[in-house]
Amino acid sequence: MQPRKVLVVDDSKLMHKMYEVMLRQYALVYALDGRQALDRLHEHPDVDLVLLDINMPNMNGLEFLAELRADGTRADLPVIIISTEGRDEDTIRGMEAGATAYIKKPFHSEEILDVIARLQTKGSA
Amino acid sequence: MSERSTTQTPKARLDAAIAGQELIAELRSTLERAGELIRVVEQNLRETAGEGRDDSSDERVVELERRLATAESDVKELASRLVDSEHQGGRLMNLYVATYQLHATLDPAEVQATIAEIAINLLGAQQFVLLLRRDEEGEGCEIALHEGMYDGAAPPYDGETYAGGDPMVDATLKDGVLRLGPTAESQALAAVPLRVQNEIVGALVLLKLLDHKPILRAEDRDLLDLLSAHAASALFAARLFATKDRKLRTLESLVKLARGE
Repeated sequence: MQPRKVLVVDDSKLMHKMYEVMLRQYALVYALDGRQALDRLHEHPDVDLVLLDINMPNMNGLEFLAELRADGTRADLPVIIISTEGRDEDTIRGMEAGATAYIKKPFHSEEILDVIARLQTKGSA
Repeated sequence: MSERSTTQTPKARLDAAIAGQELIAELRSTLERAGELIRVVEQNLRETAGEGRDDSSDERVVELERRLATAESDVKELASRLVDSEHQGGRLMNLYVATYQLHATLDPAEVQATIAEIAINLLGAQQFVLLLRRDEEGEGCEIALHEGMYDGAAPPYDGETYAGGDPMVDATLKDGVLRLGPTAESQALAAVPLRVQNEIVGALVLLKLLDHKPILRAEDRDLLDLLSAHAASALFAARLFATKDRKLRTLESLVKLARGE
Protein backbone atom coordinates (compact mmCIF):
# COMPACT_ATOMS: atom_id res chain seq x y z
CA MET A 1 0.00 0.00 0.00
CA GLN A 2 1.37 3.40 -0.97
CA PRO A 3 -0.36 5.90 1.35
CA ARG A 4 -1.84 8.80 -0.57
CA LYS A 5 -3.56 10.66 2.22
CA VAL A 6 -2.56 10.49 5.90
CA LEU A 7 -4.78 11.55 8.79
CA VAL A 8 -2.74 13.05 11.66
CA VAL A 9 -4.58 12.93 15.00
CA ASP A 10 -2.73 14.84 17.71
CA ASP A 11 -3.67 17.72 20.01
CA SER A 12 -0.21 19.27 19.57
CA LYS A 13 0.20 21.82 16.79
CA LEU A 14 3.94 21.31 17.12
CA MET A 15 3.45 17.68 16.11
CA HIS A 16 1.24 18.72 13.19
CA LYS A 17 4.11 20.86 11.91
CA MET A 18 6.55 18.02 12.54
CA TYR A 19 4.52 15.60 10.40
CA GLU A 20 4.07 18.28 7.73
CA VAL A 21 7.85 18.58 7.38
CA MET A 22 8.52 14.86 7.74
CA LEU A 23 5.85 13.57 5.36
CA ARG A 24 6.09 16.08 2.52
CA GLN A 25 5.36 13.41 -0.07
CA TYR A 26 1.88 12.71 1.32
CA ALA A 27 -1.31 14.74 1.51
CA LEU A 28 -2.06 15.34 5.19
CA VAL A 29 -5.35 15.91 6.99
CA TYR A 30 -5.28 17.07 10.63
CA ALA A 31 -7.45 16.50 13.68
CA LEU A 32 -6.92 17.70 17.26
CA ASP A 33 -8.83 14.85 18.96
CA GLY A 34 -10.60 11.57 18.27
CA ARG A 35 -13.99 13.17 17.67
CA GLN A 36 -12.56 15.51 15.01
CA ALA A 37 -10.71 12.56 13.51
CA LEU A 38 -13.95 10.64 12.95
CA ASP A 39 -15.39 13.73 11.22
CA ARG A 40 -12.27 14.03 9.04
CA LEU A 41 -12.58 10.39 8.01
CA HIS A 42 -16.14 11.03 6.83
CA GLU A 43 -14.98 14.12 4.93
CA HIS A 44 -11.96 12.30 3.45
CA PRO A 45 -12.90 8.69 2.70
CA ASP A 46 -9.65 8.32 0.71
CA VAL A 47 -7.49 8.53 3.88
CA ASP A 48 -5.40 5.36 3.88
CA LEU A 49 -3.19 5.79 6.94
CA VAL A 50 -3.73 7.28 10.42
CA LEU A 51 -1.02 8.58 12.79
CA LEU A 52 -2.67 8.60 16.20
CA ASP A 53 -1.77 10.14 19.55
CA ILE A 54 -3.40 8.66 22.67
CA ASN A 55 -3.69 11.49 25.21
CA MET A 56 -6.14 13.97 23.73
CA PRO A 57 -9.18 15.88 24.99
CA ASN A 58 -12.80 15.01 24.11
CA MET A 59 -12.04 11.57 22.66
CA ASN A 60 -8.68 9.91 23.23
CA GLY A 61 -6.79 7.77 20.77
CA LEU A 62 -7.92 4.40 22.09
CA GLU A 63 -11.58 5.48 22.07
CA PHE A 64 -11.17 6.65 18.48
CA LEU A 65 -9.53 3.36 17.54
CA ALA A 66 -12.38 1.37 19.11
CA GLU A 67 -14.95 3.35 17.10
CA LEU A 68 -12.91 2.99 13.93
CA ARG A 69 -12.57 -0.78 14.27
CA ALA A 70 -16.26 -1.13 15.11
CA ASP A 71 -17.08 0.60 11.81
CA GLY A 72 -17.00 -2.19 9.25
CA THR A 73 -16.14 0.11 6.35
CA ARG A 74 -12.77 1.30 7.77
CA ALA A 75 -11.90 -1.68 9.95
CA ASP A 76 -8.73 -2.46 8.00
CA LEU A 77 -7.38 1.11 7.87
CA PRO A 78 -3.75 1.04 9.11
CA VAL A 79 -3.26 3.05 12.32
CA ILE A 80 0.14 3.88 13.80
CA ILE A 81 -0.07 4.96 17.44
CA ILE A 82 2.57 7.56 18.30
CA SER A 83 2.42 8.35 22.00
CA THR A 84 4.37 9.36 25.09
CA GLU A 85 2.73 6.40 26.85
CA GLY A 86 5.73 4.11 26.76
CA ARG A 87 5.12 1.25 29.18
CA ASP A 88 4.86 -2.27 27.79
CA GLU A 89 1.25 -2.53 28.90
CA ASP A 90 0.46 0.66 26.94
CA THR A 91 1.90 -0.89 23.80
CA ILE A 92 -0.05 -4.11 24.38
CA ARG A 93 -3.26 -2.17 25.01
CA GLY A 94 -2.75 -0.18 21.81
CA MET A 95 -2.04 -3.23 19.69
CA GLU A 96 -4.99 -5.11 21.19
CA ALA A 97 -7.19 -2.12 20.37
CA GLY A 98 -6.28 -2.64 16.73
CA ALA A 99 -3.20 -0.51 16.07
CA THR A 100 -0.93 -1.59 13.23
CA ALA A 101 2.22 -0.32 14.95
CA TYR A 102 3.18 1.52 18.15
CA ILE A 103 5.90 4.19 18.30
CA LYS A 104 6.98 5.97 21.47
CA LYS A 105 7.61 9.73 21.64
CA PRO A 106 10.13 11.21 21.36
CA PHE A 107 10.92 9.37 18.12
CA HIS A 108 13.41 9.56 15.29
CA SER A 109 11.75 10.39 11.98
CA GLU A 110 13.17 7.24 10.39
CA GLU A 111 11.16 5.09 12.83
CA ILE A 112 7.92 6.36 11.30
CA LEU A 113 9.24 6.29 7.74
CA ASP A 114 10.41 2.69 8.26
CA VAL A 115 6.98 1.61 9.53
CA ILE A 116 5.30 3.29 6.56
CA ALA A 117 7.79 1.59 4.21
CA ARG A 118 7.02 -1.78 5.83
CA LEU A 119 3.29 -1.15 5.38
CA GLN A 120 3.91 -0.41 1.69
CA THR A 121 5.90 -3.62 1.29
CA LYS A 122 3.26 -5.63 3.11
CA GLY A 123 0.48 -4.12 1.02
CA SER A 124 2.19 -4.73 -2.29
CA ALA A 125 3.23 -8.33 -1.46
CA MET B 1 29.99 23.70 30.60
CA SER B 2 29.98 25.77 27.47
CA GLU B 3 27.24 28.13 26.44
CA ARG B 4 25.99 28.14 22.91
CA SER B 5 23.17 29.96 21.23
CA THR B 6 21.16 28.78 18.28
CA THR B 7 21.30 31.53 15.68
CA GLN B 8 20.31 29.73 12.47
CA THR B 9 17.12 31.05 10.94
CA PRO B 10 14.17 28.67 10.48
CA LYS B 11 14.64 28.97 6.70
CA ALA B 12 18.30 27.99 6.99
CA ARG B 13 17.34 25.02 9.18
CA LEU B 14 14.70 23.91 6.66
CA ASP B 15 17.22 24.23 3.82
CA ALA B 16 19.71 22.21 5.83
CA ALA B 17 17.07 19.57 6.57
CA ILE B 18 16.15 19.36 2.88
CA ALA B 19 19.85 19.12 1.97
CA GLY B 20 20.15 16.34 4.54
CA GLN B 21 17.25 14.48 2.96
CA GLU B 22 18.83 14.83 -0.47
CA LEU B 23 22.09 13.48 0.94
CA ILE B 24 20.19 10.55 2.46
CA ALA B 25 18.55 9.82 -0.92
CA GLU B 26 21.98 9.94 -2.59
CA LEU B 27 23.46 7.59 0.01
CA ARG B 28 20.56 5.19 -0.45
CA SER B 29 21.17 5.19 -4.19
CA THR B 30 24.89 4.57 -3.63
CA LEU B 31 24.09 1.70 -1.28
CA GLU B 32 21.85 0.16 -3.91
CA ARG B 33 24.64 0.45 -6.51
CA ALA B 34 27.10 -1.12 -4.08
CA GLY B 35 24.64 -3.96 -3.48
CA GLU B 36 24.39 -4.54 -7.23
CA LEU B 37 28.19 -4.61 -7.47
CA ILE B 38 28.36 -7.25 -4.74
CA ARG B 39 25.79 -9.36 -6.56
CA VAL B 40 27.80 -9.14 -9.80
CA VAL B 41 31.02 -10.05 -8.02
CA GLU B 42 29.38 -12.99 -6.28
CA GLN B 43 27.93 -14.17 -9.58
CA ASN B 44 31.38 -13.98 -11.17
CA LEU B 45 32.85 -15.92 -8.27
CA ARG B 46 30.25 -18.65 -8.67
CA GLU B 47 30.86 -18.82 -12.42
CA THR B 48 34.61 -18.94 -11.91
CA ALA B 49 34.29 -21.72 -9.36
CA GLY B 50 32.19 -23.76 -11.82
CA GLU B 51 34.63 -23.43 -14.73
CA GLY B 52 37.46 -25.51 -13.24
CA ARG B 53 40.62 -23.91 -11.99
CA ASP B 54 43.95 -23.04 -13.42
CA ASP B 55 46.52 -20.45 -12.37
CA SER B 56 44.84 -17.55 -14.15
CA SER B 57 41.42 -18.42 -12.76
CA ASP B 58 42.90 -18.62 -9.24
CA GLU B 59 44.31 -15.14 -9.65
CA ARG B 60 40.98 -13.94 -10.90
CA VAL B 61 39.22 -15.43 -7.88
CA VAL B 62 41.68 -13.71 -5.54
CA GLU B 63 41.15 -10.42 -7.34
CA LEU B 64 37.37 -10.81 -7.21
CA GLU B 65 37.47 -11.69 -3.52
CA ARG B 66 39.55 -8.59 -2.86
CA ARG B 67 37.04 -6.47 -4.76
CA LEU B 68 34.19 -8.11 -2.88
CA ALA B 69 35.85 -7.32 0.46
CA THR B 70 36.34 -3.70 -0.65
CA ALA B 71 32.74 -3.44 -1.80
CA GLU B 72 31.46 -4.89 1.46
CA SER B 73 33.60 -2.46 3.42
CA ASP B 74 32.23 0.41 1.32
CA VAL B 75 28.69 -0.74 1.95
CA LYS B 76 29.29 -0.77 5.71
CA GLU B 77 30.83 2.69 5.58
CA LEU B 78 27.96 4.06 3.50
CA ALA B 79 25.37 2.43 5.76
CA SER B 80 27.01 4.06 8.75
CA ARG B 81 27.01 7.44 6.99
CA LEU B 82 23.38 6.96 6.03
CA VAL B 83 22.41 6.40 9.66
CA ASP B 84 24.40 9.48 10.72
CA SER B 85 22.80 11.57 8.00
CA GLU B 86 19.32 10.42 8.95
CA HIS B 87 19.95 11.32 12.58
CA GLN B 88 21.37 14.69 11.57
CA GLY B 89 18.36 15.33 9.32
CA GLY B 90 16.05 14.42 12.22
CA ARG B 91 17.87 16.77 14.59
CA LEU B 92 17.67 19.66 12.12
CA MET B 93 14.00 18.95 11.54
CA ASN B 94 13.29 19.06 15.29
CA LEU B 95 15.11 22.38 15.60
CA TYR B 96 13.32 23.88 12.62
CA VAL B 97 9.89 22.77 13.81
CA ALA B 98 10.51 23.96 17.38
CA THR B 99 11.72 27.40 16.24
CA TYR B 100 8.91 27.77 13.72
CA GLN B 101 6.23 26.90 16.24
CA LEU B 102 7.65 29.08 19.05
CA HIS B 103 7.39 32.14 16.82
CA ALA B 104 4.20 31.16 15.01
CA THR B 105 1.86 32.98 17.38
CA LEU B 106 1.53 36.12 19.51
CA ASP B 107 -0.82 34.45 21.98
CA PRO B 108 1.08 33.97 25.28
CA ALA B 109 -0.93 30.85 26.16
CA GLU B 110 -0.05 29.26 22.82
CA VAL B 111 3.65 30.07 23.25
CA GLN B 112 3.59 28.43 26.70
CA ALA B 113 1.79 25.44 25.22
CA THR B 114 4.47 25.18 22.55
CA ILE B 115 7.25 25.24 25.18
CA ALA B 116 5.45 22.43 26.99
CA GLU B 117 4.97 20.49 23.74
CA ILE B 118 8.67 20.77 22.91
CA ALA B 119 9.59 19.54 26.39
CA ILE B 120 7.17 16.60 26.25
CA ASN B 121 7.21 15.51 22.61
CA LEU B 122 10.77 16.32 21.56
CA LEU B 123 12.73 16.05 24.82
CA GLY B 124 10.64 13.36 26.50
CA ALA B 125 10.14 15.35 29.71
CA GLN B 126 7.43 14.16 32.08
CA GLN B 127 7.79 16.75 34.84
CA PHE B 128 9.06 20.28 34.38
CA VAL B 129 8.50 23.88 35.46
CA LEU B 130 8.88 27.16 33.62
CA LEU B 131 10.17 29.98 35.82
CA LEU B 132 9.99 33.64 34.79
CA ARG B 133 11.75 36.27 36.86
CA ARG B 134 9.43 38.92 38.27
CA ASP B 135 10.06 42.56 37.41
CA GLU B 136 11.02 43.63 40.91
CA GLU B 137 14.29 42.50 42.43
CA GLY B 138 13.85 40.01 45.28
CA GLU B 139 10.36 38.90 44.27
CA GLY B 140 11.58 35.57 42.98
CA CYS B 141 10.27 33.88 39.84
CA GLU B 142 6.74 33.33 38.65
CA ILE B 143 6.03 29.64 38.11
CA ALA B 144 4.44 30.24 34.70
CA LEU B 145 3.96 26.57 33.93
CA HIS B 146 4.27 23.29 35.72
CA GLU B 147 3.61 20.00 34.04
CA GLY B 148 3.26 16.40 35.06
CA MET B 149 2.95 16.91 38.82
CA TYR B 150 -0.34 15.13 39.22
CA ASP B 151 0.04 14.61 42.96
CA GLY B 152 0.77 18.29 43.47
CA ALA B 153 4.03 20.13 43.06
CA ALA B 154 6.62 19.55 45.73
CA PRO B 155 8.71 22.35 47.28
CA PRO B 156 10.34 24.51 46.09
CA TYR B 157 8.03 24.46 43.06
CA ASP B 158 4.68 24.54 44.88
CA GLY B 159 2.62 27.71 44.82
CA GLU B 160 2.84 30.49 42.29
CA THR B 161 6.35 31.71 43.07
CA TYR B 162 9.76 30.10 43.09
CA ALA B 163 11.76 31.93 45.73
CA GLY B 164 14.89 29.82 45.40
CA GLY B 165 15.82 26.57 47.09
CA ASP B 166 17.27 24.38 44.33
CA PRO B 167 21.02 25.21 44.23
CA MET B 168 21.44 24.15 40.58
CA VAL B 169 18.47 26.23 39.42
CA ASP B 170 19.51 29.20 41.56
CA ALA B 171 23.00 29.10 40.03
CA THR B 172 21.55 28.97 36.50
CA LEU B 173 19.24 31.90 37.23
CA LYS B 174 22.28 33.80 38.48
CA ASP B 175 24.93 33.10 35.84
CA GLY B 176 22.87 31.91 32.85
CA VAL B 177 24.77 28.64 32.38
CA LEU B 178 22.86 25.58 31.23
CA ARG B 179 23.38 22.84 33.83
CA LEU B 180 22.65 19.13 33.69
CA GLY B 181 21.84 17.07 36.78
CA PRO B 182 20.97 15.44 38.99
CA THR B 183 23.67 16.52 41.41
CA ALA B 184 24.24 15.92 45.10
CA GLU B 185 22.28 19.08 45.90
CA SER B 186 19.63 19.00 43.18
CA GLN B 187 17.19 16.47 41.76
CA ALA B 188 16.68 18.55 38.59
CA LEU B 189 17.82 16.87 35.37
CA ALA B 190 18.43 20.16 33.57
CA ALA B 191 18.26 23.85 34.37
CA VAL B 192 17.96 25.77 31.12
CA PRO B 193 18.47 29.53 31.35
CA LEU B 194 15.98 31.63 29.39
CA ARG B 195 17.43 34.74 27.81
CA VAL B 196 16.11 37.88 26.26
CA GLN B 197 18.95 39.95 24.78
CA ASN B 198 21.53 38.30 27.05
CA GLU B 199 19.51 39.02 30.18
CA ILE B 200 18.49 35.97 32.20
CA VAL B 201 14.72 36.22 32.58
CA GLY B 202 13.93 32.75 33.82
CA ALA B 203 14.63 29.05 33.53
CA LEU B 204 13.09 25.86 32.28
CA VAL B 205 13.70 23.13 34.84
CA LEU B 206 13.35 19.50 33.77
CA LEU B 207 12.59 17.35 36.80
CA LYS B 208 11.74 13.93 35.35
CA LEU B 209 11.87 12.21 31.97
CA LEU B 210 9.41 9.68 30.58
CA ASP B 211 10.12 6.17 31.85
CA HIS B 212 11.18 4.92 28.41
CA LYS B 213 13.68 7.77 28.04
CA PRO B 214 16.26 7.15 30.78
CA ILE B 215 18.66 10.02 30.01
CA LEU B 216 18.99 13.21 28.00
CA ARG B 217 20.93 12.43 24.82
CA ALA B 218 23.62 14.50 23.16
CA GLU B 219 21.16 15.60 20.46
CA ASP B 220 18.83 16.99 23.14
CA ARG B 221 21.45 19.60 23.95
CA ASP B 222 20.64 21.40 20.68
CA LEU B 223 16.99 21.64 21.70
CA LEU B 224 17.87 22.87 25.18
CA ASP B 225 20.07 25.57 23.63
CA LEU B 226 17.27 26.51 21.27
CA LEU B 227 14.80 26.84 24.15
CA SER B 228 17.34 28.94 26.02
CA ALA B 229 17.65 31.36 23.11
CA HIS B 230 14.09 31.43 21.77
CA ALA B 231 11.51 30.42 24.39
CA ALA B 232 11.68 33.54 26.55
CA SER B 233 11.88 35.98 23.64
CA ALA B 234 8.82 34.37 22.03
CA LEU B 235 6.93 34.45 25.32
CA PHE B 236 7.90 38.03 26.14
CA ALA B 237 7.01 39.24 22.64
CA ALA B 238 3.60 37.57 22.96
CA ARG B 239 3.01 39.05 26.44
CA LEU B 240 4.07 42.49 25.25
CA PHE B 241 1.75 42.26 22.26
CA ALA B 242 -1.14 41.17 24.50
CA THR B 243 -0.52 44.06 26.90
CA LYS B 244 -0.26 46.63 24.10
CA ASP B 245 -3.35 45.22 22.44
CA ARG B 246 -5.30 45.49 25.69
CA LYS B 247 -4.13 49.08 26.23
CA LEU B 248 -5.03 49.97 22.66
CA ARG B 249 -8.55 48.64 23.12
CA THR B 250 -8.91 50.61 26.36
CA LEU B 251 -7.75 53.80 24.66
CA GLU B 252 -10.11 53.21 21.74
CA SER B 253 -12.99 52.77 24.19
CA LEU B 254 -12.03 56.02 25.96
CA VAL B 255 -11.86 57.90 22.66
CA LYS B 256 -15.29 56.57 21.69
CA LEU B 257 -16.63 57.58 25.09
CA ALA B 258 -15.15 61.07 24.77
CA ARG B 259 -16.74 61.45 21.35
CA GLY B 260 -20.07 60.38 22.78
CA GLU B 261 -20.32 57.40 20.42
